[in-house]
Amino acid sequence: MTLTRILHGLGRAYVGLVLAFLYLPILIMAVMSFNASPFYQLPIDWSTDWFSALAGNRSLISAAWNSLYIAAITTAIATTLGTAAALALHRYQFRGKKLLQALLFPPIAIPWLITGTAMLIFFFAVGIGRGLHAILLGHVALALPYVIVVVSARLRTFAPELEEAALSLGASQWQATRRVPLPWIAPGVIAGALFAFAVSFDQFVVSYFLSAPGQTTLPVQIYAAIRKGFTPEINAVSTIIIVLSMTLMLLTARFFRFGGEK
Amino acid sequence: MADSQPSAGRGQLRPALPLLLPAYLWLTVAVFLPLSAMVFFSFVTDLPMAGRDWAATLEHYAAFFQTDLYGRLLLRSLRLGLEVTLYCTIIGFPCAYVLAKVLKGRSREAVFLLVILPFWSNGLVRVFSWAVFLRGGGVVDLALNAVLPFEVSIDLMYSYPAVVIGLVHSYLPYMVLTCYLTLQAIDDSLIEAARSLGASRLTVLRRLIVPLAMPGLAAGAVLIFVPVVGSFMEPRILGGRSGTFYGTVIEDQFVAVFNWPLGAALSFILLAVVLAVLALAAPVLRRHGA
Amino acid sequence: MAEVTVRGVSRFYGSHVALQDVSIDFPDGGFYGLLGPSGSGKTTLLRIIAGFDSPDDGSITIGGADVVATPVQDRRIGMVFQNYALFPNMSVADNVAFGLSVRGTPKAEMSQRVSDALDLVQLGGLGGRRPHQLSGGQRQRVALARAIVTRPRVLLLDEPLSALDKALRVGMQVELKRIQREVGITTIFVTHDQEEALTMSDRIGILRDGRLEQEGPPAELYDNPVSEFAATFLGDANIFRGRSANGFLLLEDGTRLRCRSALPATAEGTAACAVRPERISLRPLDAPGASETAGGENRLAARVAKRIFAGNSISYLLDWPGGPLKVFAQNTGSPPIEEGAAVILAWTAESTLPLG
Repeated sequence: MTLTRILHGLGRAYVGLVLAFLYLPILIMAVMSFNASPFYQLPIDWSTDWFSALAGNRSLISAAWNSLYIAAITTAIATTLGTAAALALHRYQFRGKKLLQALLFPPIAIPWLITGTAMLIFFFAVGIGRGLHAILLGHVALALPYVIVVVSARLRTFAPELEEAALSLGASQWQATRRVPLPWIAPGVIAGALFAFAVSFDQFVVSYFLSAPGQTTLPVQIYAAIRKGFTPEINAVSTIIIVLSMTLMLLTARFFRFGGEK
Repeated sequence: MADSQPSAGRGQLRPALPLLLPAYLWLTVAVFLPLSAMVFFSFVTDLPMAGRDWAATLEHYAAFFQTDLYGRLLLRSLRLGLEVTLYCTIIGFPCAYVLAKVLKGRSREAVFLLVILPFWSNGLVRVFSWAVFLRGGGVVDLALNAVLPFEVSIDLMYSYPAVVIGLVHSYLPYMVLTCYLTLQAIDDSLIEAARSLGASRLTVLRRLIVPLAMPGLAAGAVLIFVPVVGSFMEPRILGGRSGTFYGTVIEDQFVAVFNWPLGAALSFILLAVVLAVLALAAPVLRRHGA
Repeated sequence: MAEVTVRGVSRFYGSHVALQDVSIDFPDGGFYGLLGPSGSGKTTLLRIIAGFDSPDDGSITIGGADVVATPVQDRRIGMVFQNYALFPNMSVADNVAFGLSVRGTPKAEMSQRVSDALDLVQLGGLGGRRPHQLSGGQRQRVALARAIVTRPRVLLLDEPLSALDKALRVGMQVELKRIQREVGITTIFVTHDQEEALTMSDRIGILRDGRLEQEGPPAELYDNPVSEFAATFLGDANIFRGRSANGFLLLEDGTRLRCRSALPATAEGTAACAVRPERISLRPLDAPGASETAGGENRLAARVAKRIFAGNSISYLLDWPGGPLKVFAQNTGSPPIEEGAAVILAWTAESTLPLG
């Protein structure tokens, strides 16, 4: 029995190491963004200079607004379209359903490099061109499969007998739909929406190819800044983004328990 | 449970259509048509637009085979994909095992969340954090110098190892997630039964746990290998001059060289490779559903 | 084949006492049942004997040697789990062969022993199937075959029949006994079903809240329960409580009951005894000869509250000032007694079991 205990202890320590590996660079980056010294010298000279410098960085700020703006619209569109599709796939049986479900995989499975460049070519050829509208087009397409998968998963846990029970108790179809399945799938829809927002906000590759001068998103702008050279302002904006993304993720987890615990 | 209305059979497309159409129409316009277009464009000399001469050609595909440059880079990318997948498996599987079998309750949920969290934050930013970490004069140097008696300057930046580390860091959570899902579905009583029959821990791992976890391992491997083979952002940021890969060459065609048809051809070849990998992995993954 | 002894075993989970100073001798080659309600500690004890848990106190010996320090895979036990725990990635034959292959048994011997084991559990020829293709009863037998093919010293069964439906269960009880007799292996099984324990065991140990309440052969436990719990958990019983007076049991309403033997009285002089429902005879109050002593010296007046007809038997639930009573009668064809009727209950002193 003690061997088991030792092994378990080692296992826990190992997981600790893995977590350290995952978080160390991020923490250091975050700490360094508060370091006035531009060359990461210790001891740390605590200051929020870089964050204030950020505020004056026009291109980063406008790119940030673009990102938020596009993410919000993407979320609205993808969640609506995706939930509708998920409902249809759940409720109805028809030929070609398997095919439709399979078609959800390419956008997720194919490397974004390929999808992104293909979009660029196609949009250019048909006259859609590049820019924020093109980026929006691409983001929604990337977010849709995630929303559909998430909402479908939630739908699958719903027992139709509940709705039937409501009907047998005298509720009208609308009442039954509103009060039984809708509240049930709401967490799934919210999770899907949060996914869509995250997918859009963090999207780099597709945004990169579909960007036009002056019409970029934050990750693209950061990338361009990195290519030019490291500045601690990038540190600062990166820290902000990471905190935002992680908070979003925590919210999603509340709505959609991962790991099959429920 | 699953789908209702068993009597309806196959003809329910009509009522489903208005719900399905918007989403799938969007996907068609934004994904399927572009992918088809890309295939088409890989066979032309120039984009078929007003005022341009264009003709069908195989020259772009020929270019792939003419010099060994593209082939070499494709192999380099494939090798990168295999290495990163391998490291993610070696590091991630034990982690998933501990998560699934050793940790329980609250601590398990919390640690699971912690492992998945970086996975959902911005990939670009995470790669950047490694750049900060690995720079010469950066934290690694400071830590080592504090411990070792002599001066060291490890500049891992702009090297192949840096690219590998950055990619492993980005994609590790995928493997942990997929392995965790399959591992925690393995009933504890199975492991106990094997032990009661005289199997050592190693035997249990080899003959019971790994075979049952195969679908998770395969899913994780696919989720990691495919994007890594086509990656260009991580190589550019962390690789510097050693950061030329198949993905970066494709990127070049679109943002620097502007030889879009060639880029399309190279992309298509990459797509073919990716599909081949997926086809190989499909039988193992399908067992997951059964 | 080996005997198992458990001495002074205790197991605590924080402040919860799972087992408290339990000592049992499991005879070599015997079929022993650990019986108790959930939470009684029976499964904990089984798992400790198996090696999946270790006691905080006490010793476990198998075949005379202390095994507490021995890891489970070296204890040479066979275990059948409640959910069978068949390996889904292996065929039936590979499942059964697992214990043998782990020990490096040569192929030829292995396949012979596997087919023998499958024949023993009457699943010969199904070796190529996968677990998910089998029915519950078949899976159970595969689990059994897998456990005994390695010729373990002890066979441990954790609620082996609880997942089966009634008809299958009765058949399997007989099967299990037959196989155990044939193989002659020391068998310990855990159950919460007292009927199962009664039919299958050579000896039974009743556990309650982590303590051994009583143990012995089924008949002895049935006829001589030591406590109210033992009397009501193993079989049904009517409990009469009162004061001990001159060797009689004096009930609150003044009735005196004669017991089979002298009553052990507690400090306050209170005492109790149990009477099995099938030992009580029932006669309508106004029937001729009702007041005679036929049927036994102990008598009571009560009223029939409910009559349950079960084909070959009839159960009566009775209202009595001292509490509800139950009588179990074979269906001999005599005229039924209606609900609401006033009746006289009669039984012998021999059937009045003193408790405590």
